[in-house]
Amino acid sequence: MFTVLRDLLRYRTEFRFGAILTGFIAAFAALSLVSPYPPQDQFVVPPDLPPSWSYWFGTTSRGQDVFWQLTFAIRNTMLFGLSVAVLSRLVSIAIGMWSGYKGGIVDRLLMSVNDTFIVIPLFPLLVLFYFVLRDRMSWPLLALAMASLGWAYDARLIRAVALSLSSREFTQQCVFSGMRTREIVFQEHLPYVLPIVFYTTMNNMNWSIGLEVTLSVLGFTDIDTPTVGVMIYWANQHTALVAGVWWWVFFPVLFVMILFIGLFLLAISTNEYIDPRSRLARMGDVSG
Amino acid sequence: MSAPLAKVADAERVLDVANLRAYYQTWHFGVSRDVRAVDGVTLHVDRNEIYGLAGESSCGKSTLIRTIVRAIRPPLAVVEGSVRFDFGGRACDIYALDRARLAGIRWRHLSYILQGSMNVLNPVRRVRESFVDFAFRHIGKPMPQFLALVEDHLARLRLDPAVLGSFPHELSGGMRQRVTIALASVCRPDFIVADEPTTALDVVVQKDVLALLREVQRQIRSSMILVTHDIGVHANATDRLGVMYAGRLIEEGRTGEVIREPRHPYTAQLVTSLPRIGDIEPKQGLDGAPPSLAAPPPGCRFHPRCPLAMEMCRREHPPMVEVAAGHRVACWVKAPPGGMAAP
Repeated sequence: MFTVLRDLLRYRTEFRFGAILTGFIAAFAALSLVSPYPPQDQFVVPPDLPPSWSYWFGTTSRGQDVFWQLTFAIRNTMLFGLSVAVLSRLVSIAIGMWSGYKGGIVDRLLMSVNDTFIVIPLFPLLVLFYFVLRDRMSWPLLALAMASLGWAYDARLIRAVALSLSSREFTQQCVFSGMRTREIVFQEHLPYVLPIVFYTTMNNMNWSIGLEVTLSVLGFTDIDTPTVGVMIYWANQHTALVAGVWWWVFFPVLFVMILFIGLFLLAISTNEYIDPRSRLARMGDVSG
Repeated sequence: MSAPLAKVADAERVLDVANLRAYYQTWHFGVSRDVRAVDGVTLHVDRNEIYGLAGESSCGKSTLIRTIVRAIRPPLAVVEGSVRFDFGGRACDIYALDRARLAGIRWRHLSYILQGSMNVLNPVRRVRESFVDFAFRHIGKPMPQFLALVEDHLARLRLDPAVLGSFPHELSGGMRQRVTIALASVCRPDFIVADEPTTALDVVVQKDVLALLREVQRQIRSSMILVTHDIGVHANATDRLGVMYAGRLIEEGRTGEVIREPRHPYTAQLVTSLPRIGDIEPKQGLDGAPPSLAAPPPGCRFHPRCPLAMEMCRREHPPMVEVAAGHRVACWVKAPPGGMAAP
């Protein structure tokens, strides 16, 4: 896995760019640790100042420094995306691999649940979720809800791979040598599936961050914890764009776009690495 | 024709298969269908012997040995008969064992080289890891000793222990096949089943692989079942030969005898199909195709294609009859029960 990452960094421009952009955003989020102001405090700086040397990204109408506020927002948004991705990976790996390996009735039952999750519309469900919880809504809860809704596509993908692996000779040999199902799935099949998991993780992060921003902009989340979406929500509440406080909206959008592009580049370049057809197509390009 | 079970106690026999029937049983849309891939096979394998199984594709060879080692999954099921092993005095019916005891036998006493075994090694794991995954649990030694043992074993088979550090795709097809044979024999099992170990290899590598199999058998004094449709390989490697047709064993005897003096018309055709040096006669093929195992013809399954078929052949299945010492044939014409062999 590490040699793969090293090779990708060395030879794939997209991967290098993606890593640089994502790394830049991660470093920016890390700055939240040294922020001079706690994120919830208001009127700690003069309001509505445009970007300047003393306030790089300007200040908000609520008297917050956009720079430091954004470090918290990006950190929370990234953590949110990451926890949704990790939690939903656990479900999709477990269900996909078990379903693909077992086949038969287990497969049919699990996949009918899986397909149900694929077809139910997520957005109205999450809005409903907010209206049920109201004040008790927090981002860990939202992450949990989205993770339990967002595993289904990738479980199907992983199941397809596991299904093909389960009929290969080496699996028969594993069964013959007396390995247990758990050992076969995690020791023998998981290394095969991991690159796909890596790819879908980044896609899933993009998906969950996008959905979280959408929900927050509309105010359907915990609006006291700063995230990129919540910053835009407050900017809208203070009619920032009408009032000419454009920097309040511009910087969050810019940063979340950089994060999106970074993750997207990482995802497509690993995909190219996994899929031999696109690798071959690229080699054809190089040789003319 | 089921062999008396008392014979299992005979120290000479390692494997005794009695009247084994294994069918692929499917049930779709209310229609149940049995594919009789193995139908009433009786055979035995002696200690220190290589037993060959021959027959064309889809005659049930692979199903038979999969049933023998109990590596079967639904829809394949054993309908009748028994498979008994005797590993140095510890006799057992492989279908009467529970999971733990079955796992205890496998690899230590009974190992299986799968068909297409070049793909037995997991493509994303190094060869060393495959050895650990498959064989470590069966050896019961700490890891450093286990690895030393594996390297010793490879060295004895004249394989470079450096292959342990490579991925399967870095090895050639013949090399992979040899590694698989080493993997199957690392625990020095009493019984090895090899399903088409030389298929898909060119003749030069085939020769090496066969030599390796014989070497393994000589070193660890195990018995072996070798399945291949290549009569030339059988002539080279096996002691006794069983010929299958459409799920049944039709002839069995010492390999040289069966090839020199085939009794069953099918075996005769199979042997004549072999080219000989200096032979310039064009080869005559058999008409027709093997019957569907889902609806086999009544009587002898070979009768629709048999040049000698009689009325009797269409009605009843011929029993296995001993025509010479250790040479059994199932044919109404060539080996009628009662011994009045037709001309």
